[in-house]
Amino acid sequence: MRLTNKQLVLLAICAVATVSSVYGGEVPRPRGVSLAKAALYQPRSDGKWTCLDGSKTIPFTQVNDDYCDCLDGSDEPGTSACPQAKFHCINKGHQSLDIPSSQVQDGICDCCDGSDELPVVGCGNTCNELGAAAAIERRNAAELHKRGAEKRQEMITRGKQLKADRAARRSELGARIKEQEGLKAEKEQLKRNAEALENEAMEAFKEQQRELDAETAQAEQEPQQMRQEATLSFVRYDANKDGFVEITELMVDMNLDSDRNGVVTVEEAKYFLDERERVDLDAFVTLAWPRIKPQKMLAEGLFQPPVVETEQPKPQVPSTEAPQAPVVNDEQADMELGIDEHGHDGEEDNEDEEDQYEEDDEPDVGVGEATADSETSTAAPNYDPETQRLIEQANEARNAFDEVDRHIREIEHEIKELDEQEGKDYGRNEEWAVLDGECYTFEDREYVYTLCPFDRASQKPRNGGAETTLGRWDQWLGEGDKYSKQKYSNGAACWNGPQRSALINIKCALEPRITGVSEPNRCEYYFEFETPAACDSEAFQAAEQNQHDEL
Amino acid sequence: MRCAVFFCLLIGGWINYGSGVDPTNFKTCEQSSFCRRSRKVQSSGSKYSLISGTLNTYSDSVTADLLNKENHHQFTFKLEALVGGTFRLQIDEKTPLRPRYRVEHALKAQPKTVTIRVQESDGELTVTSGHSKAVIHGDPFRIDFYENDVHVVSVNAKNWLYFEHLRQKTQEQALPDSGEQQQNVEVLETLDEPGSWEENFKSHHDSKPYGPEAVALDFSFPAAEVLFGIPEHADSFALKSTSGTDPYRLYNLDVFEYIVDSKMALYGSVPVLYGHGPQRTAGVYWQNAAETWVDIYTAETNVVSSLVNFVSGSRKSTPPAAHFISESGIVDAFIMLGPQPMDVFQQYTALTGTHDLPQLFSLAYHQSRWNYNDERDVTTVSAKYDEFNMPMDTMWLDIEYTDGKRYFTWDKFKFPEPLTMIKNLTELGRHLVVIIDPHIKRDNSYFFHSDCTEKGYYVKTREGNDYEGWCWPGSASYPDFFNPVVRDYYASQYHLSKFKTVTEDVMIWNDMNEPSVFNGPEITAPKDLIHYGNWEHRDVHNLYGHMHLMGTFDGLQKRDPNQRPFILTRAHFAGSQRYAAIWTGDNLADWSHLQHSIKMCLTEAVAGFSFCGADVGGFFGNPDSELLERWYQTGAFLPFFRAHAHIDTKRREPWLFPERTRLIIRSALLKRYSYLPLWYTSFYELEQTGAPVIRPLLAHYPQDKEAFAIDSQLLVQQRLLVRPVMQQGVSKVDVYFPAIDDKKNGDYWYDVDTYQRQERTGSESIPVTEYKIPVWQRGGSIVPKKERLRRSSALMLNDPYTLVICLDRQGKADGTLYLDDEKSYAYRDGQYIYVNYEFANNQLTNRFIGKPKYKSDAWIERIVIAGLNRVPSSATITVNGVAQQLEVEQRDAAVYIRKPSIKMDVDFALKLNY
Repeated sequence: MRLTNKQLVLLAICAVATVSSVYGGEVPRPRGVSLAKAALYQPRSDGKWTCLDGSKTIPFTQVNDDYCDCLDGSDEPGTSACPQAKFHCINKGHQSLDIPSSQVQDGICDCCDGSDELPVVGCGNTCNELGAAAAIERRNAAELHKRGAEKRQEMITRGKQLKADRAARRSELGARIKEQEGLKAEKEQLKRNAEALENEAMEAFKEQQRELDAETAQAEQEPQQMRQEATLSFVRYDANKDGFVEITELMVDMNLDSDRNGVVTVEEAKYFLDERERVDLDAFVTLAWPRIKPQKMLAEGLFQPPVVETEQPKPQVPSTEAPQAPVVNDEQADMELGIDEHGHDGEEDNEDEEDQYEEDDEPDVGVGEATADSETSTAAPNYDPETQRLIEQANEARNAFDEVDRHIREIEHEIKELDEQEGKDYGRNEEWAVLDGECYTFEDREYVYTLCPFDRASQKPRNGGAETTLGRWDQWLGEGDKYSKQKYSNGAACWNGPQRSALINIKCALEPRITGVSEPNRCEYYFEFETPAACDSEAFQAAEQNQHDEL
Repeated sequence: MRCAVFFCLLIGGWINYGSGVDPTNFKTCEQSSFCRRSRKVQSSGSKYSLISGTLNTYSDSVTADLLNKENHHQFTFKLEALVGGTFRLQIDEKTPLRPRYRVEHALKAQPKTVTIRVQESDGELTVTSGHSKAVIHGDPFRIDFYENDVHVVSVNAKNWLYFEHLRQKTQEQALPDSGEQQQNVEVLETLDEPGSWEENFKSHHDSKPYGPEAVALDFSFPAAEVLFGIPEHADSFALKSTSGTDPYRLYNLDVFEYIVDSKMALYGSVPVLYGHGPQRTAGVYWQNAAETWVDIYTAETNVVSSLVNFVSGSRKSTPPAAHFISESGIVDAFIMLGPQPMDVFQQYTALTGTHDLPQLFSLAYHQSRWNYNDERDVTTVSAKYDEFNMPMDTMWLDIEYTDGKRYFTWDKFKFPEPLTMIKNLTELGRHLVVIIDPHIKRDNSYFFHSDCTEKGYYVKTREGNDYEGWCWPGSASYPDFFNPVVRDYYASQYHLSKFKTVTEDVMIWNDMNEPSVFNGPEITAPKDLIHYGNWEHRDVHNLYGHMHLMGTFDGLQKRDPNQRPFILTRAHFAGSQRYAAIWTGDNLADWSHLQHSIKMCLTEAVAGFSFCGADVGGFFGNPDSELLERWYQTGAFLPFFRAHAHIDTKRREPWLFPERTRLIIRSALLKRYSYLPLWYTSFYELEQTGAPVIRPLLAHYPQDKEAFAIDSQLLVQQRLLVRPVMQQGVSKVDVYFPAIDDKKNGDYWYDVDTYQRQERTGSESIPVTEYKIPVWQRGGSIVPKKERLRRSSALMLNDPYTLVICLDRQGKADGTLYLDDEKSYAYRDGQYIYVNYEFANNQLTNRFIGKPKYKSDAWIERIVIAGLNRVPSSATITVNGVAQQLEVEQRDAAVYIRKPSIKMDVDFALKLNY
């Protein structure tokens, strides 16, 4: 539809000829003026007309005479003479449209009624066809939104139910934790009593066992040393000095690159933080350091694969510091575990790894009676039967206490999770809540992309290889409608570049799915995601109505 | 495009944006044995003399034998007079062991000679032709050149002529038939020089089978105060002394993250150098395609010497001089005698040619990025320009559009329907440019590779095998474009019957043609490779890209004989301007690189390459809003105007920045498009006359010494003075308004936005806003513009013109306008309108140059006159004896004449009434 020279021979003349011809049929007005603005284009009685910005008064015959007189371009609504002017296409039968003057009389048909070009260009009028097609499209869209909205209603119901369930569970847990705390106090008293008796007996026994003191000292020293080391490391990791070690602070330590793929992923770092986002010093010492240390030792070549425990016999003397003792044991157990995992880390794929980490939670947090037991059985000296009995009683009391304590921590953990979920924005009516916990995938030529709403977006090469986190749930980021876009941030860092991130553009559809993934900027991913949760019939109709009103 | 990222990976190092190039990847003069040897002569001097009795005089030339008095080797000497005040000097061995390489294809044609008169007296030989004269001294050998009896150039005044004749290697010396005794002596001479017969650089070995074969010669410029030329370097316009530094180097190289203020070699080599002084300008074109170093000696300007001169009453200091040192070939020098800057620039383009009138779209705005990822990406970016009502002409596709860096193919997943995508662009008057690099992926299933392998089209190793290097596709080989059969084959690949997935509207970008070889010495090809004609790569290196372009240009012309080709190249040599536009390669998003875009393009422009630009925004790194805005404003006034970015940078299309930035960029684009008629006319006149489109101040203000070194400003022809804002956070800039004589008289200059007149010469501090591009129109000039906005330049074809008339002190002005179909070669058959507008005595008239045969629907919608003393009451236009009154209106400091509505091919007279 490009213009040829020949076709334009009469351009200048035609332009003049069309100066202020009747336009649009009903109300006489200059070419390119909308009905709403028709009143502004009336000549004064002296045949003059003032630019809409008031800058100048010109003969009305100079409106649309293909010369720009007004600074605001208002005298040339129907030509290309003023670069800042707008041309109004009526587009009867379809949507009317304002196009910039740059598109007027350039040989390209921009208005479906062809009004932006001279007849010689031969644009034709396609408004009726387009209008009909648009009407069908609108009807389809309305229908889609209507049906989608029904699904969305179900999602809202389920989302609200989930919210109620969470609230119920939350209050139930609140009550349980109170109850458990009472029980804990009770068990603590029992434990203290049993330990007092045990202590007494032990003191007596110790008197007889003077010669073993040296080793005892050593056993006490070790946790001390451990704590010191851990504290030092904590300070080193805590780059921003906020008193917490966070995932990102660990991600800089390549020793923690368990799968040795060159990047410490969030998952990897999180493992070392006991699956937490961040830890304070105490948690670091007790939970994180025991996981990190073996990695360090391994990296420094200090770590020798453990020989059987019995080969370094340690007189396991239950002492007054008994509560600490299991920590030592626990740590040793962890070391073993760490190595063990490492043994197949490199080869195994990541999903397994994660599962394994999750399963590890329990023994790490808990006290681990079994371990303590086995230690005791292999290393316990020969007590006299009475002392032995008291020790066993004290152990039982300790275990009972620890049991309660662990229970409380479990409840706290669940509360924390519930609170986290409660903190997430699941939309105006909780319609997005059901997507939390779901995952959707999309395959292109090279990658399988995964989106787990409210959790993460990731990418995995189709021909095998490790999964890369593109981002973790960050926030809603739609302009206008906040719930039209999601942002996932702080993904794995790009080589020599920023951390990856993903933007999810959300549209209404009957079934949830990803329809496309692209990477317009290096390391910035763009997902097209569809779900009934985005179908809002009322909002859609309101928008339609709004648009209609404007026209 | 970019660099040897791959190479960097291979060697395991990654250089940060901030730190730039690793200079140790490239040789110093000291590491280049011929440079080291040739430079030594500067302390000892050499002894050459003409052999008496060997002189031969011809109608247009003289020849004689030349003797090296130290080793008694004989040479032939030829001095030829060419049309237009130019001499050609050639020195070769009289009987070389093997022929020495003579550059081909750089000159646009065999230069025309003129008759000479020869006089001999006192051992001096005077060769005269018109105003030009050469005085040849026999012993020591030296030639002085005079323009109208002013001594402007001397050859070998410093006795630094150095010519290593070809010789046998010593081992072979032992053979009984190894020649005379004399040779033995010579061989011993250079034996103690390491590097004469083989050379190592880093892990690379150069076998140097022919041994030392350097040529070097000095040129002095007695009438000059400043030397300039020899692009391509990221350095000031005025050449700096190389005393205490390496010489300027000319060796086409793919330099990763090059640094500014540097004499290091870059992508192109144009061995033309000019000496300029207030009275005279002269130049030397050193035609040699081997690696070349140029030492620069500038006149002593220290206190002691000026004191001595003052006391002795003489300005006789050592004149500025240049010492050209090349690795092989012969001495083939063109001495151009001026006398004025524009004369000598035109003498140079008379030898090597100019860019033909390009299609108009190529002078408009280009949008590029490594890479637009897929068809949707291309379509979206194009549509965004329309959404924001910003003009854009050309979308570019970098290497990722190909199927695995196999050129002439498409990635079928990202670009399944290229023809549809192209049609969507061309329907809006837009174009597409795709990259085609010279490295060929070594993949047996790739037709191009199997053809080249079967037919033996690749550059060979010394052993006769196809050379294999690493580049974007991985293992790659390089077609030997020196072979005319290979060029024909290459050209035929562009034919639409072969390259079916493009149209005749798709133009070509030839990159990486230094050639870039990631694992080669200095990231290019080894010097001992063998080309067509059995020449070593050493002899022809700087011509490789040029030969590549010849193939592409031929291919595009044959593809559509009626469409003018557009090619962008990175590597270039003297004469490449006939085939392609250039850009300054892989620059950095940094203010200093923005400043160098003008310096570098000015130097390129006087060396034949008017069609020059720099990546707007900077190739590497991420420009902030302000830098991007200022870069668009600067780019809008360089001939080649393209935004481009590295694949690792953030997206930077204008709408991704705050609205304010988008509007500033839009305003710069509009300004560019409004001046397209001036750019187009300038390029027509470049083709006609060889006069550069953009010019340094000294081109038109040769007497103003303060203007000599100014390279933050440029002239567009003699009509606009441009001084873009190229510093961060400034609210004013210093602008130098040059003087036309030594009494500080100057032209009037009119601010193109306000028509405020600048009457004084010298430096002025000019306030600027973020939107402001400081540009002035010279009083005495008329500039044609098109002030209507369109989506692309093609859609402006029939839009009306505005004439801007800025009056000089006498109330006069004139200026040309050229127009045609903006696309085809029909203008060669007279289908154009070329008109000169003249304003004097309150009257504007037009005078057609040649018959206005082109039928245009454009017309003149507005005439703006700045510099009138009074505002006229009206104007009267008379066409064919019919007079018509026109309205006149005052706006700002100018007078606007409303709607003369004259067609472009009509004679008219327009008179102002008071």
